[in-house]
Amino acid sequence: MAANRAARTGGVVPGLGFSDAMARLPRLESEEIDRAGDRLALRRLAGWMGRYSPLVARHGSDGLMLETTGCDHLFGGEDAMAAEISDRLDALGLTARIGLAGTQGAAHALARAAPESPAILAPGEEHDGLAGLAVSALRLEDASSRLLRRFGLNRIGQLYGVDRRALARRFASREAAEAVVMRLDQALGLRGEPLAPIRPAPAHSARLACPEPLLHREGVWAGLERLLGEACRELAWHGRGARGFRLAAYRSDGSVSCVSVRAARPVRAPGHALRLFGERLDEIDPGFGIDLMVLEAFRPDSMHAGRPVLSAELAGHTLDMHEVSALADRIMARLGEGAVQVAVPQSRHIPEQAERLVSFKGELADWPARDGAGADRPLRLFARPEPVEVLAEVPDGPPIRFVWRRMARRVARADGPERIAPEWWMEGGTSLPTPVPVHEVATATTRPERDPSPSGAERAGAAQPALSATHRAAPAQRAVKRTRDYYRIEDEAGRRYWVFRDGLYGDGRGGAPQWYVHGVFA
Amino acid sequence: MVMQMDAAALKLVDFSCRTGAAPAFPYGLGERGVHEIAAAGHGDMPACAGFAFCAGLKRAGPGAIIWVSEHGRRRDFGFLAGHGLAGFGLDPGRVLFVHARKPREALWAVEEAMGCGAVALVAAELPGIDFTASRRLSLASEARGVPAVLLLGPRCEGATAAAARWRVRARPSAPDRWDPRAPGHPRWQAVLERSRTAPGAAGRTHDLEFDHETLSVHMVSRLATGASRPPSPAAGDGGDWRETG
Repeated sequence: MAANRAARTGGVVPGLGFSDAMARLPRLESEEIDRAGDRLALRRLAGWMGRYSPLVARHGSDGLMLETTGCDHLFGGEDAMAAEISDRLDALGLTARIGLAGTQGAAHALARAAPESPAILAPGEEHDGLAGLAVSALRLEDASSRLLRRFGLNRIGQLYGVDRRALARRFASREAAEAVVMRLDQALGLRGEPLAPIRPAPAHSARLACPEPLLHREGVWAGLERLLGEACRELAWHGRGARGFRLAAYRSDGSVSCVSVRAARPVRAPGHALRLFGERLDEIDPGFGIDLMVLEAFRPDSMHAGRPVLSAELAGHTLDMHEVSALADRIMARLGEGAVQVAVPQSRHIPEQAERLVSFKGELADWPARDGAGADRPLRLFARPEPVEVLAEVPDGPPIRFVWRRMARRVARADGPERIAPEWWMEGGTSLPTPVPVHEVATATTRPERDPSPSGAERAGAAQPALSATHRAAPAQRAVKRTRDYYRIEDEAGRRYWVFRDGLYGDGRGGAPQWYVHGVFA
Repeated sequence: MVMQMDAAALKLVDFSCRTGAAPAFPYGLGERGVHEIAAAGHGDMPACAGFAFCAGLKRAGPGAIIWVSEHGRRRDFGFLAGHGLAGFGLDPGRVLFVHARKPREALWAVEEAMGCGAVALVAAELPGIDFTASRRLSLASEARGVPAVLLLGPRCEGATAAAARWRVRARPSAPDRWDPRAPGHPRWQAVLERSRTAPGAAGRTHDLEFDHETLSVHMVSRLATGASRPPSPAAGDGGDWRETG
């Protein structure tokens, strides 16, 4: 159990059993611990602490660790910073204990065990500063600290002189002893300890503290303009551009609202970044007032000076990629990530894998010059081939009639088949939508399962329709890749479709083949 | 300064040439202004895209082509396939596909794309468009000189501010020279329902055929398009060709 200050003065300490606590303090009021709520609140607080340092890590279930190196001068030194954090958290109604030291372990120990709240140790003073604190402040397991107390080792300073090998012998397991030594070394700075921040450190950041809390969009906009100018000047100084910006508006009531924008190419033009933010700035809610805005630039990259490529000019299209990617950024800022795509050709035979739509990354795809195969590929493809009911001649005749999207269509002309076999050298299957068994029955009844091909012995009664329907519904069978026969067909109204039969009759890879519409011709 | 004057003068001359000459077949489709291409029936949307590509988008100058599609359109009629585009003589690498969830977003993307200097043409497929939106797009198109082609559904009937509206339906394809049973060159019937650039041509019906080999569009006489049924394999020289070939 946990206890507040009033309870602790009454003799109730955290970790005490509930009945013991009631015995010590009969007027105790209790509540169930809301661990999930606490975690959430701590996470929110961690986001808000970003105003003091970009590197904030969660530390245990009730602590936050801030890397304040290089940040304290913004607040006028470490003492002033600690005092301000303490005041701010007090104003938010939070009781906080603050420890500031050169190592994580020492800061932890100070925050847990130091008598006064903002406890500050200058770098190098850990050895003396920690000596008077209780061993339990060293982030040890309960069993270990209890064991140490039983030896009479109550203070951290008493551990300094103990022979480490002798200490190891006292513990039941080698790991427990090593953990004690490790925590001690980490607190003293003899052993390094990495920080795992909740967000990565930005490459560049600019901050703007507002003397009066901002309440309106105009104020936020003006502040953003200033921050972007500053950040872009810094990026330009380093000869770089950033692919992402994040604006965090810290509100005086202890919450944060953030907006991130991304760019396909590195950006350092304030105007462009401002336009990207312009689409999203309404997401920032000033609430009771914004008193600090921080702009961070992420994913920096070297900028290429704008020069048109000679070969592009010779090829006939001079595309200013900077303009194009600026447009793509604006569209993606408004319509969402991945709203702008380019088609990239792939060297695959299966039509749906012959090209891939990928999110625009500042580059256009390179397509080979027209290879003459244009006329037999449809203008539009369906993301997933759609199953159709087809009346066709068995085994490999083109469709005569088919029902697609609940409309019966009569085929006037057909061309095919174009046989596309599965790519046996590739791993993984191309899974098609599970066909509804009704379709199969329909095919089976329109064309009785008579075998016109001479290779009937080979399939030896393998294709009973009823059996095949159950087989193909099984997930293991669905991944089976089958040879496809594509047909270009035209109905009586002149509409042209690209249909295929998934599988051959008697190929031994499942039941009767299913038909699909894969695309439409213009 | 002199250079600038020259450029302005050239532009003027160019403009006068364009307006002075009698407008020919696509009547400015893909060259200037906002043109609407509406489907005659629900299944004629692919035909609209085909007509747009062979008649309009090939005329686009150098630069990127932005293809904005609204989510529902994309789901119903599939996405544009790069290999299919290549069949229309268009470099798929020039095309940027914008995927909008709502028609409003698609309209916004069209207008935004018109403001970009590197864009040669903006095409969008939408379920429909109202007068206000089309007026807005027309003004943007005039101001920036970027043509736009809107592909609309069959229910688009009302008045809009677009420069022209075409109504396109698929027609039975030309008989294939080598195989009478196979679909030949695609054909479409495009009716110019109304046009601001060429009011005299409004109401004209164009029967068009696209040749994949030469990447050209031909007008077809009415007589040739009348046949909806393929000639029987025995009759005509198609059969003979097949046998000897």
